[in-house]
Amino acid sequence: MENKQIPNHVNDSNALTRRGFLKAGIMLGGSAIFGTRIGSAETPSAITLPFDRGRRPLIAFPQKRPLMVMTTRPPQLETPFHVFNESIFTPNDAFFVRWHLANIPTHIDLNEFRLTIRGQVKTKLTLSLDTLKNDFEPVEMAAVCQCGGNSRGFFEPRVPGGQWGHGAMGNAKWTGVRLKDLLEKAGVKDDAVQVRFDGLDKAVADVTPDFRKSLNVEEVLRQEVMVAYAMNGEPLPYLNGYPLRLVIPGWYASYWIKALNDIEVLNAIDQDFWMKQAYRLPADPCGCIEPGQKLRATVPINKMTVRSFITNVQDNATVKSGHPVTLKGIAFDQGYGIDQVLFSINGGKQWQQSTLGEDYGNFSFRPWEARFTPIAGTTYHLQCLAINRIGESQRWNARWNPSGYLRNVIETVSVKAV
Amino acid sequence: MIRQAQGIKTFRVYAIVLLALLHPLNLERALAEFPETIILPSPPLTFQTAPGSEIASSYCLICHSAEYVYIQPPHSRATWEEIVKKMKHAFGCPIPDKHIPTVVDYLFNQNTIQPTTQLKKRRNNTPPITRPNENPINGKVLYKTYCINCHGSEGKGDGPIGQSLIPPAADLTATADKPDRALLKVIRHGRPGTAMPSWKGNLSDSEIHEVLSYVRTLSQ
Repeated sequence: MENKQIPNHVNDSNALTRRGFLKAGIMLGGSAIFGTRIGSAETPSAITLPFDRGRRPLIAFPQKRPLMVMTTRPPQLETPFHVFNESIFTPNDAFFVRWHLANIPTHIDLNEFRLTIRGQVKTKLTLSLDTLKNDFEPVEMAAVCQCGGNSRGFFEPRVPGGQWGHGAMGNAKWTGVRLKDLLEKAGVKDDAVQVRFDGLDKAVADVTPDFRKSLNVEEVLRQEVMVAYAMNGEPLPYLNGYPLRLVIPGWYASYWIKALNDIEVLNAIDQDFWMKQAYRLPADPCGCIEPGQKLRATVPINKMTVRSFITNVQDNATVKSGHPVTLKGIAFDQGYGIDQVLFSINGGKQWQQSTLGEDYGNFSFRPWEARFTPIAGTTYHLQCLAINRIGESQRWNARWNPSGYLRNVIETVSVKAV
Repeated sequence: MIRQAQGIKTFRVYAIVLLALLHPLNLERALAEFPETIILPSPPLTFQTAPGSEIASSYCLICHSAEYVYIQPPHSRATWEEIVKKMKHAFGCPIPDKHIPTVVDYLFNQNTIQPTTQLKKRRNNTPPITRPNENPINGKVLYKTYCINCHGSEGKGDGPIGQSLIPPAADLTATADKPDRALLKVIRHGRPGTAMPSWKGNLSDSEIHEVLSYVRTLSQ
């Protein structure tokens, strides 16, 4: 399985000056360089995100290149944003990491590992990885995995929680088996309501609620929901859920249970902490409230909002005037697919169509690009706005909620032409 | 050098194909590069010493590293109180109510410090010594402050928190045959995969040796 990359239609390295990239906020003992130069003497030590307390050391965890460390135990690692400009599929060694409980699996013996399917089923199944691979039809799908709190650090007013920049997301080709096939083999009983997923991660204290998540039966019987044993053609890294991960395209990553070893069909709505109390949104359709307003009814976090990013130009960069500059970016939504991405060079006063790149499926990042010719001395407020196939677009004003979820405001990248 | 990394990957693919051509039985071996076990790094920073830091270290670091606090934007004292109470009531942190105000004050104060000063590693001016010094008295005081909650008054791993941890706190009375350097390493850097945090940010190198000298008396 080859990772297809966005074709480099234009070599835009001439259009964007190096100095522009130098302002990306990637620190190297006082100076800055663009990108992570693994193995070179110029290895940057940290990346500073553009908000208070935004400094993130770059440290290589097992099977990972140096990533932005938000926390070490349990590990929460952010993908440096320039990675999204390098390929439409996020490499496994750069894919973001987020665990909730500190005792995460660091050793798995496949001879012992089993996935159990139990609860409201006619036949309980206990499957080894080999059985899973050999007895069920393999399927493959490109899908974006995004943390519900991606971009939380940009919330104003700020909210408690993991202070992510935009890098708590990634796009991969997942290979595995349909969850539907497993559940059909086990035979779901008529009184089934939800299905609960649990992984091998454990809390440090036995009183801490185990991290497990549940979804309605009709949701998990969708064709595209899978139990994945590979991402981008290789086994999942330990930190991304080796050996099995639930892939529920379109839904936020908290449901994509890592090191998945237990599937339990329930005959009632799950009342566990991680469903009933954590990962909740304001119940109104916007998923938002006014800052300071009291949070009333809530619902579990669910499907992703439509988003887009410019990936090849960073905020406060300098661009060369008089030559066409190619803007490149990505867009995605909850699975309707991206219909169009508009771009603006004047902060949203006027919009133009961008050109969409290759379509890797409705759940994937969709590449786009656009061109403009900067005039010397002008500051451009570059924006992009994705609209999906049912007409949903990004928000013009940032929504706010106390947990910092669902951000999809139009992002702005300001550049100066010289 | 991302390009270089890709180059290595390409090389690997060629190497696998070549091996497979030479000897088909080698294919499986060539593909079996996946690590059996991974070792996670220890947190690069711990709580800075200040009033309340020993209590914060004893309770907060059981479940998570100190970075959880230092990445936070400025929060009000009320928000910190809410967070600490959530840790106790939702996540089961064994902190007694009487310590909550101390920890809330400590976290609130730490949260006002710019992380640039925070992230500086505390320098140990004391050169490492190969033997623990002979001061188990100081070590006992430190042990009672930092270690007793998990490892217990006699070091059997039976402190109020010790047995509820997964894995449970180590029985220090069974460490007599472990060399000093192994125990010093665990105290300094913590033990990955367990609740044992790194103490090098809270304790100086000589204090770490004092703790060790007291721990040595527990197995006598």
